[in-house]
Amino acid sequence: MRRLALLALLSVTPGLGSAQSTPTPYTPPHLPAPHGFRVFIVPDMEGMGSAVDIHEVIAGNEGERYKTLTSPDYWDHFRDLLTREVNATIAGARLAGARSFVVNEGHGGNLFANIIPWDLDTGAILIRGFPKPLVMVTGIDSTVGTLMFTGAHAGPGHPGILAHNFAFDTFTVNDRHLNEVGINALIASEYGVAVSLVSGDDAEIAETREILGNNFIAIVTKYAVGRMAAITFSPTRIRRQLHDSAAVAVRRAMRGDFKPFRLDKPYHVAFALRRSYSDTVVAGVDSLHWAGLEKAGERSYRLVTDDARQIGYLLDAIERVVLR
Amino acid sequence: MIARYVIPLAIALRPLAAQQPVQQAAAPPRDTTPPAAYYGVTEYQQARTKLEALMQLRGFTVYIVADMEGLAGAVRNATEMRPGDRGGHDPTHEAFRRELALEVNAAIAGARLAGATQFVVNEGHGGTLFRNIHPEDLDPEAILIRGYPKPNVMETGLNPKVDAMFIIGAHANARTPGIISHSYAFDSFTVNGHVLNEAGIAAFIGGEMGVPMVLAAGDNVLTAETRLMLGDIETVTTKIAESRSAAAVFPPSVIHRQIRAAAARAVRRVRLGQLKPLVIERPYHVDFCMRATFQPWVALATANLQGVQRAAADTTDRCFTYQTDSAEAVGNLLNEIEWVVLKP
Repeated sequence: MRRLALLALLSVTPGLGSAQSTPTPYTPPHLPAPHGFRVFIVPDMEGMGSAVDIHEVIAGNEGERYKTLTSPDYWDHFRDLLTREVNATIAGARLAGARSFVVNEGHGGNLFANIIPWDLDTGAILIRGFPKPLVMVTGIDSTVGTLMFTGAHAGPGHPGILAHNFAFDTFTVNDRHLNEVGINALIASEYGVAVSLVSGDDAEIAETREILGNNFIAIVTKYAVGRMAAITFSPTRIRRQLHDSAAVAVRRAMRGDFKPFRLDKPYHVAFALRRSYSDTVVAGVDSLHWAGLEKAGERSYRLVTDDARQIGYLLDAIERVVLR
Repeated sequence: MIARYVIPLAIALRPLAAQQPVQQAAAPPRDTTPPAAYYGVTEYQQARTKLEALMQLRGFTVYIVADMEGLAGAVRNATEMRPGDRGGHDPTHEAFRRELALEVNAAIAGARLAGATQFVVNEGHGGTLFRNIHPEDLDPEAILIRGYPKPNVMETGLNPKVDAMFIIGAHANARTPGIISHSYAFDSFTVNGHVLNEAGIAAFIGGEMGVPMVLAAGDNVLTAETRLMLGDIETVTTKIAESRSAAAVFPPSVIHRQIRAAAARAVRRVRLGQLKPLVIERPYHVDFCMRATFQPWVALATANLQGVQRAAADTTDRCFTYQTDSAEAVGNLLNEIEWVVLKP
């Protein structure tokens, strides 16, 4: 409890410290205070059980380039599976004593509105819609007891299912490659929150092990045999694994077994936008005139910051350019 | 990687090359000896290693290839076999996806009765890019291999730990009067003179690893020709073909019962040593002709695949030969050809 109070104090101080630097477009959303241990779940879709093809995780309404990448019959089916995966995770966490659940849509399909709200566990707060500050960890604060990523996917260049990393081909902080889980774990560490559970395909888990070490519980949902083909398991089995692992994760998180993912400050961020994007996306990112963002190449950029949340705000701005 | 991206690029650049005859002349003659590293063999080995690592140490494993054309009741390719976003406009497609799961589940249930302990289901139907079974509908103990492209198409991850292969919803060979009859992208496909349909090709690749194909379910043409190819294996005739798109169909529930019984018999017979893997003498001389209905560029692209040679007495410009010592390499070649044809 004393630790929580300390974290709460810490969460206030960055606001004071960053007064003279970039003005943040972000005011923390006022989620109800948790009555008990709070679990923050970020469900993505690419790494969920059974999903292998982009048509299964895209609704088709995200923008021009996604129009033909959907097939509604599959999409409907997989958002149902997604909701049930999240429910299984919540049920497991509740079994171990968690009492508050925040689910923040981590997948851009249907513009961050994949989970079917009336099928979701009634104990959960659902953050859905786009745009949202800090994108995948919107709503995180120091009252969060532990952070879980379900259905995560590997970064570009890895032989994982639908491997990508936000809008980037490469993304490094202090010369360390980070995937989406890594970036969000770094942002969460600003609040002293640690990642306790990650589920995804085998490539994703291997990559995240390189980034976060053995400091989390992993669930391999499928084994990739191509970018859009995998050895998969019954959704029932995946849900059971999520349920059981979430329980263990919460139990261990309550003991303080997991440590936040920390890197040395200041953070030297370097990234390159995807080669497949049109020049208008690059021009859009240029026209953000983001404070501190330097151009390092045709579509690569550099940023030095003391606050990982600045990375989150920038991600949000870039997502808005891409999904506009 | 090379086969997938560089070769199509090379094809795209061919007109350019034609304009530069000097460089063309300088190119060395094409090496036609079987390559040391076969096509896609790295991906294939990875898939196989991953599946092998997941499998039980003991027990009896059944590998089920799940196709759709031979399902009970299915007769029409354009609607029943395709989802809306790939040209189908028939709600019964969903019904056939469920039917596929039911027939596969029936095979699993039967095999389990006879002592099989593990089940791997590999999506074999490309009309939906190898995503037909609703994962939720499948027997929860089964491993499901889905998606496209996957190495070795219908035999992804197949390995010697597998004890028996089934093919469900199979269809008859190309140019036969079976329902939606075809064979991959070919009009004909033979290995050392043996005519093989898709079930036969699966048996050939499995045979090299010592895995017998023991159950085939499909229309009467399929079951008859498969018994000719593979001998006295278990078969379930799901319908009597009247033409390529009309059949006298048996009630699905009856077919499920028959598949369950046949699967149990098949596993029992494998355990008794009565059903043997298909063995064809090495080296394998593969002769195949691409479908006549394809655009000429398909044959052109196929001719560019490494190790593929034009057939000697070929007047149609779409027949080829391929010689190898590895059935897996043939599977990988199929994958490359499938990629040429299906490129999404």
